[in-house]
Amino acid sequence: MCYKGQILGLEPLRMRLSPLATRLDCLLIVGLALVVATPSTVAAQAAAAEAVDAGIPIADATVRQACGRCHAPDDEGRLSRISFRRTTPEGWQQTIRRMVMLNDLTIAPETAREVVRYLANNHGLAPEEAGPAAFEAERRSDDQAYEDADVKQTCTTCHSMGRIVSQRRTAEEWRLVTAMHRGYYPFSDFQAFRRSGESDEPEPVDHAVEHLSQRFPLESPEWSAWSATMRAPRIAGTWALRGHAPGIGAVYGQVTITPTPGTDDEFTTDTSYVYARDGRRVIRTGQSIVYTGFQWRGRSFEGANDTDGLREVMFVDRDWQSMRGRWFTGGYDEIGLDIALERVGTAPVVTGVHPGSIQVGQTVSLQLYGENLAAATAAALDLGPGLEVLRVVNAAPDLVTAEVRVDGDARVGGRDLFLDQTSLADALMVYDTVSRIAVTPDAGMARVGGVRVPKQFQQFEARAYHDGPDGEANTDDDLDLGLVDATWGLEEYAATFGDDDLRYVGDIDGQGRFTPALDGPNVERIGNRNNVGDVWVVATYPAGERTLRARAHLLVTVPNYLRWDPTAVERP
Amino acid sequence: MKHLTPINRKAARIAAAANPAPTGDVVALQEQGSGPPQQPEGPHIPLGCSLAFQPGWEADRNGGTAGLCQPVERDLFDCHLGCYWPAHVPDQLNHAPDWTSKCAAAQKDWRKIDLIFP
Repeated sequence: MCYKGQILGLEPLRMRLSPLATRLDCLLIVGLALVVATPSTVAAQAAAAEAVDAGIPIADATVRQACGRCHAPDDEGRLSRISFRRTTPEGWQQTIRRMVMLNDLTIAPETAREVVRYLANNHGLAPEEAGPAAFEAERRSDDQAYEDADVKQTCTTCHSMGRIVSQRRTAEEWRLVTAMHRGYYPFSDFQAFRRSGESDEPEPVDHAVEHLSQRFPLESPEWSAWSATMRAPRIAGTWALRGHAPGIGAVYGQVTITPTPGTDDEFTTDTSYVYARDGRRVIRTGQSIVYTGFQWRGRSFEGANDTDGLREVMFVDRDWQSMRGRWFTGGYDEIGLDIALERVGTAPVVTGVHPGSIQVGQTVSLQLYGENLAAATAAALDLGPGLEVLRVVNAAPDLVTAEVRVDGDARVGGRDLFLDQTSLADALMVYDTVSRIAVTPDAGMARVGGVRVPKQFQQFEARAYHDGPDGEANTDDDLDLGLVDATWGLEEYAATFGDDDLRYVGDIDGQGRFTPALDGPNVERIGNRNNVGDVWVVATYPAGERTLRARAHLLVTVPNYLRWDPTAVERP
Repeated sequence: MKHLTPINRKAARIAAAANPAPTGDVVALQEQGSGPPQQPEGPHIPLGCSLAFQPGWEADRNGGTAGLCQPVERDLFDCHLGCYWPAHVPDQLNHAPDWTSKCAAAQKDWRKIDLIFP
């Protein structure tokens, strides 16, 4: 194979001349390239011209020393490849790992951390650029909608689209990264980069390079603006926490962020939060680094016996008043919470209420979570029309308990909450009846494990809905009444005649968490199949005289033996 | 046929074929109609999951597991080396050349298969 020809951008020429090319060796093709100016060579020249102008100089001595042995510096202080790319801390970490694994790089862990930090800060993403790629760092399951279906097909044949949208490169760099794929993963050519048969259309890889060069260039107004104003965020202080653990419910609490002495972008955290539905309190301590002025990467532990902890990926808003992201753990990062932090001053802050929905005609004990709430009174608490605050039972700084009555003829719908000068939009729902329940996610995935590989769990959640004023399900006016305690079960999803997956795949517990069965061939199954299969996950919930039912599809499948896992950039 | 009774095994099989026992509904093979959905709306593509190959690694073209090469331990050799799964199985060209050196017969030695974190 003639990889040199491919790297030079000669593939269309070679494909067009393919009957001839089969008889020519690489030297001849390269020779032809010298005299035939094809569109690709023109593009390559344009890319080369762009590369001369673009590129971010690297001033840091550690990076120049660690990387410069192979990545030759030029007169402008730029290192080859590195200066022509921007990405997330995870992206830079993955590159260093690849250099260690495949290019015999020897680098001390502390040096690698320093290199990642410098590159993430100076060759990073602006907040506007990092937002659409956040799901990759947050390790969220995602359906990966992307604007160009052909590019998506080319890239997601092997990996997440998040890997691409978290990168910025020059046109030449995008071309070179496809060349890297061809070198290390030769089958990518046949599986994704090229189409079979003759066609006048550009090859998928050429289309992808052209698209990505336009869509994700090295230089962008967003990065120019952000890199000019970027600084280590001053986020020390107290932050109100609100979050949601799928299947378990809302959490409310507080995070105290303390700067690590001698640094401006490292912090320690003391976190305390409560699961609103069962009152369980969690105390965590952790450490974090903020990259590129806004990308929080941390890890926190619940007590001394917590060996893995939770990895924290959050994004600090530009005004340093809030941050949001995901804290997660698990063999496949599948267990976690969505977290939002809001800076707390001396003014009261309400982060949420429990229960989040109240039926008309009922009197309930309503809990308000937040900060600086000790002075709350019944008179100051306004829950809107049809809701009467009978009394405040207890008022602590972080929790107010109030007795609230909802009129029998109160109008169905959301209510904003006001407490003195603070407010919370759509704090709670008033409903008359539960119309239906729904299970989320509507399609889940678990992986067998527990012997040789870890299990991938899948947490389901049942939420109740009111159909809204139009009385029709699944319309825009539907009211989300929140998580309900459903009864969980599994049913066969018959994919073949005599389908018996249900007997083997695993079990779901009372909280909607599915635990897959063991990995390895199962001699009890036909063909020694693994304990894989697809089943319905069914939730039932009594609502008055009716029993509501909803279901979701669950794919219980095989392990991944190669884990493209952007694990902790730095394990503090 | 209702007046005839099979008297040997071959005749019994013919009778059985003419009056098949009711079998379970195979919802995965049904077309979407106007009734309640029998299948999720298209295959779900979790993070890093690849459905591009047919069958894929995690899911077959219908989004299920019935069409997967099974067990996966046999698939590592029978399919991986022929089809190549760059996203799910270590390539034995660059990343993990000795990946399966400890398990000559993966169906028996599958406990020795390593996870690779590139």
